[in-house]
Amino acid sequence: MFNFKKIKNDPQSALLMKKRLTHGIVSFVRYFFLLALSYVVLFQLIFMISYSIRPPVDAYNPSVVWIPSEFTLENFTVAYDSLDYLNSGLVSVYIMMIAALIEVFTCAVIAYGFARFDFKEKGLVFFLVLVTIMVPVQMLVVPMYLNFSHFDILGIGNLIREWTGTDIRPNMLNTAWTFYLPSLFGVGVRSGLFIFIYRKFFEGLPRELEEAAYVDGAGPLRTFLSVILPSSGVVFLTVTIFSSIWHWNENYLSGLFLQEKPSLAVMMDLLDTSLEQNGGDNRMTRMAACLLFILPMLIMYMILQRKFVQSIDRVGIVG
Amino acid sequence: MKRSLKDFSQKRRMYGRMFILPWEIGFVIFFLIPLAQSLMFVFSNVTIGQSDFNTVWTGMDNINYIFNQSPKYVENLVDSLTSFTYSIPLVVALSLIVAVMLNQKFKGRVIFRSIFFLPVIIATGVVMNYIQGDAAAEALRSGGAEASSSGVNVTEILQGMNLSTEITDFLVGFVNQIFNLFWDCGVQIVLFISGLQSIPEQLYEVCKVEGANEWEKFWYVTFPMLSGTTLLVVVFTAIEIFTDSANLVMKQAYAAMQQQIYDRSAAMLWVYFALVGLILGVVVLLLQKKIFAKWAT
Repeated sequence: MFNFKKIKNDPQSALLMKKRLTHGIVSFVRYFFLLALSYVVLFQLIFMISYSIRPPVDAYNPSVVWIPSEFTLENFTVAYDSLDYLNSGLVSVYIMMIAALIEVFTCAVIAYGFARFDFKEKGLVFFLVLVTIMVPVQMLVVPMYLNFSHFDILGIGNLIREWTGTDIRPNMLNTAWTFYLPSLFGVGVRSGLFIFIYRKFFEGLPRELEEAAYVDGAGPLRTFLSVILPSSGVVFLTVTIFSSIWHWNENYLSGLFLQEKPSLAVMMDLLDTSLEQNGGDNRMTRMAACLLFILPMLIMYMILQRKFVQSIDRVGIVG
Repeated sequence: MKRSLKDFSQKRRMYGRMFILPWEIGFVIFFLIPLAQSLMFVFSNVTIGQSDFNTVWTGMDNINYIFNQSPKYVENLVDSLTSFTYSIPLVVALSLIVAVMLNQKFKGRVIFRSIFFLPVIIATGVVMNYIQGDAAAEALRSGGAEASSSGVNVTEILQGMNLSTEITDFLVGFVNQIFNLFWDCGVQIVLFISGLQSIPEQLYEVCKVEGANEWEKFWYVTFPMLSGTTLLVVVFTAIEIFTDSANLVMKQAYAAMQQQIYDRSAAMLWVYFALVGLILGVVVLLLQKKIFAKWAT
């Protein structure tokens, strides 16, 4: 097939040959590396699925490696009961997911202020946004817990209590407000990072779009809603996915603030104890519980996945 | 004319402040005040009253306690800080490599990208604890080989290559570490890919004309253009690793908090994060001054 004599005499095709060879090696190394890492990720998922559908007796059966001796859904029922799946899942949806959606919107509004308007203290305020990314929530959680138990704005409620003797400070613990309020003000779960991502995206949008809107007499908020929002689908998708996943998995704050209404993530923390009570504390039920826990996010990701993977390209966090 | 222009820019300034005002309010109520209170806890004795908490100034008592009397705090602190030195560079480098690979055009790119985001969904604190515990137990059951959460039996492969035990052990440890750290890379890969996408194509065309090879392209165009993203990724990774619920200092502080010893818990966290912040600050400064400045001039 190859005419070696010709290649030897022709430096150009020798060069081409060399180029092809390097290209082949590069793509081989790339596939090898990526496949190895994919294996690490997928192994875990298959491990979970394989264990969750096998009967407990298979744990001591050395001939069972991946394919269970018989197929069973029993583990899922045990896990479902132990997690109190419906109730805690509802808490996760109507507290955490709504907080996520609020955050996705407010962070965009705030980031737009940083991206498009100039004022003296902007640099300082944005630096403070970065500080909120860097300070872990663990340092704030105890005072926040105590403050939420007697919610007060700048000590006004306390003053009223001292003067009149009636305590008007509401106890916000175990209510959705412990998550809605911080999200509403753009200081919710990892809001700083989202403001950063939004800002970079908005700065990259052409200004002509907005100028046209201003000429037509629209105010800044109107412009934001009718011009910026419609053209920011990609960044909204990215932030929505991140924010939902992080809210869904949030078990540290919700474990403290929502003790009486545990979310699904908190129930996952308590899984070992509740499985023991249900008499099914083994690897199979635990894996079934893990699958049940990640299932909603997995489904959401599968639906949005194609769009998300494409949108990463266009979010463009400028370095 | 001049006057109306001034009005306009004044208006713009006001609008900008209005957009940011909600954040400033939230920052004070949900960040600044709690932060100040927790700093006060460090130097006080905290008691929880009927409708409030009371603090009595005790100076350095809590700090003294955690360093001199608290069992294992210093040990945990040193452990955590040393793990920082290798895991952050590894996570950042690994994510960068994967992001660069995924950014090239090749068959199956979309599938790989979808797979590599899965750790963000699966590798949550709670789920990972159960999986790692069980995967390790499983590895022990099936022959007692090196227990790793990756499921890759590297030991067997290496022993087949007739290497000495020390080299095998080192390599096994290293590979397992990489596989474990890969679970922390999901977000970083996404951040790097979008950073890579924002590098203008023209720069690479210039490289082509100048006859630069792939390595030079990476070192003189890709890497400097990613400096902002890299800083963000470094900071994000550091926070992720440090606040991980499996971290020993975090565990200790959390345990103290559950026993309602809020003051000592706060002291443990403040000392820990002050040190982290110090290291992080030095790293960020070095990155900015030494490395990234090289290209700026």
